[in-house]
Amino acid sequence: MSALALASHFVRREIRNRYLGSFSGGLWALLQPLLQLAVYGFVWIYVFRMRIPGGPDAPGIVAFLAMGVWPWNAFAEALMRATTAIQDNSALIGKVSLPREVLVFSSVASSFILHGLGFCLIIVVLWVGGTPIHLAGLALALLAFAQLFVLALGFALLFAAIQVFVRDLAQSLAQLLPLWMFAGPVLYPRDFLPAHFRGWLDWNPFTFYAEYMRQTVLAYGQAETPLLLALAIAILVLAIGYAVFRRLASHFEDFL
Amino acid sequence: MSEILVAAHGLGKSYPQVFRARDRLRALWRLLRGVPDTDATAVLRNVDIEVRRGESLGLIGENGAGKSTLLKLLTGVLTPTFGSVTVNGRVGALLELGAGFHPDYSGRDNIAMSAALYGLSAREMRERFDQIIEFADIGHYIDEPVKHYSSGMIVRLGFAVVAALQPDVLITDEVLAVGDESFQKKCVRWMEDYLAGGGTLILVSHSMYHVQKLCRRACWLRHGEVAASGDVFDVTQAYLAYHEAKLGKRPERPVAAAGGSEFQLIDMQLNGSGQEAPLLLEHNDPLRVSVGVHSRDGRAPVVVIGIARIDGTPVYGVSSEMDGVIPEAETPNTFRIGVEFANLALLPGSYVVKAHPLDPEGVRLFDTLERPLTIRGNSREFGLVRLPHVWFGVTAAPGARVRDVAGA
Repeated sequence: MSALALASHFVRREIRNRYLGSFSGGLWALLQPLLQLAVYGFVWIYVFRMRIPGGPDAPGIVAFLAMGVWPWNAFAEALMRATTAIQDNSALIGKVSLPREVLVFSSVASSFILHGLGFCLIIVVLWVGGTPIHLAGLALALLAFAQLFVLALGFALLFAAIQVFVRDLAQSLAQLLPLWMFAGPVLYPRDFLPAHFRGWLDWNPFTFYAEYMRQTVLAYGQAETPLLLALAIAILVLAIGYAVFRRLASHFEDFL
Repeated sequence: MSEILVAAHGLGKSYPQVFRARDRLRALWRLLRGVPDTDATAVLRNVDIEVRRGESLGLIGENGAGKSTLLKLLTGVLTPTFGSVTVNGRVGALLELGAGFHPDYSGRDNIAMSAALYGLSAREMRERFDQIIEFADIGHYIDEPVKHYSSGMIVRLGFAVVAALQPDVLITDEVLAVGDESFQKKCVRWMEDYLAGGGTLILVSHSMYHVQKLCRRACWLRHGEVAASGDVFDVTQAYLAYHEAKLGKRPERPVAAAGGSEFQLIDMQLNGSGQEAPLLLEHNDPLRVSVGVHSRDGRAPVVVIGIARIDGTPVYGVSSEMDGVIPEAETPNTFRIGVEFANLALLPGSYVVKAHPLDPEGVRLFDTLERPLTIRGNSREFGLVRLPHVWFGVTAAPGARVRDVAGA
């Protein structure tokens, strides 16, 4: 109970922190996703001249991108922030007794809350712009978003614990995350790949989420990984991440 | 007997040796496999502590004895390497200045943060918010970032939060001394109320006065182990005695310390005392300096004894060779020699008595021992010593008594 109160406090603090001192404040949280989507749309439509396969039923390129980019942004940013969460709060950890998971949790949660709101906003904008949105599927998509949170939290706990000991991790992660994104169908549909490469995408735990969002919200394509398998993977990653974190947590202050 | 609030059994803490990045990687791998550390540095060993409700315990010890580490283990900031800590009830810790405060946030935000860290629910927090602000009494600063606070304001804020927390156990050190007079009174009043109301206190202090005033029991930590524990007066007496003995013992140096050089000073006695504390003398008092010298090959050394002002300015120095004397052997390898200044003409001030052994030829200098010397008194004369003198061509000033300063 008190850990939950503490977590909510940290989440609020982190969200406020990001916009504290910025001129536009909370407005930026709304503008940023719209701007990002506009840039992606422009580049993909006018520069790369990409068309989504699937004939007249295929969604617009902007809607297609949005379903991949927002979950990815939430996921990637959560990992980046949470990896250094313990290290960044070393002053607190050395002075005050607190459950350390809370620090990682609030980094992941604040990323997911902000990008989750952005995701909802984008869907409203797409709907206003004439993209057919499947309301029943939207509920499933939000559940999948929560499942993605579980996956992200698992990785985040693992990375944050290791980062305390091996400081290179955060830097490598900044290099590896774009690779991770391109190794999944975030910015392109799976069909764009030569046939014998397509199966490789299933090794990326994020692939399911990009495809599932499109399947549920836009009724486009079919996620190849079964939902239950993806859920099992997310829970397994969380279990491993939590176990490693627990084992290392009591030694953090010796290495910070 | 009332319930035990804080209990530690066989408590120990070791820090790993981490010098290079490779050590961190090895430590990570070792911890993941669950293998204990072999080359850790132990800072606390085998500490047993029990504090019951309503008791007050003082922790004393030298710097680096492990007091802070023990407190961090008790408050749960550190995880013990060995043994266990059990704490029943809410712990309020008031240790380092501004611990847990974020410098960029306002006082209000930090109160909320601290309260959340102490496990207060949002509702409890709201109920006590005004009380905290009133107790801290720092005016409009409450809405300013903590980084603009003075150290006194930070302590006020920290204490106000802890006071509102109504902790079962209060763990604190001398941070309270930072506050101003009126706030200190407020704190002391609160602390007395707290103790009178059955509160439990663990206090770390270097002030035996405070420990004896506030605590009924004390625990003395020395090099990470409990040296003594029990009634506050017994333990503080033992601690003070240890410090005096430590200061007095130092001149008796182990002979091997200088790596077996040919001649080495064993000790220096000023007027028969080997104490390290400055010797206090009046102007014209006698001073007897006596030194023991260890000679590796049994030859009698030449000994130089001198006095310098505290800033290093030499006043006087003389060697046994100059005066044509030879130290007498006490044992085949030790010699003792002394010199007496019957009327030490030094003017009031701080001085150092120095001694050096030289080889029998009086050429090579081997060792140095220094002892402070303070001459008391209020003289308006200038310089280091009073030189014998007589005024001439003078008449006595009216009402003045002409001093006889012609010397002995």
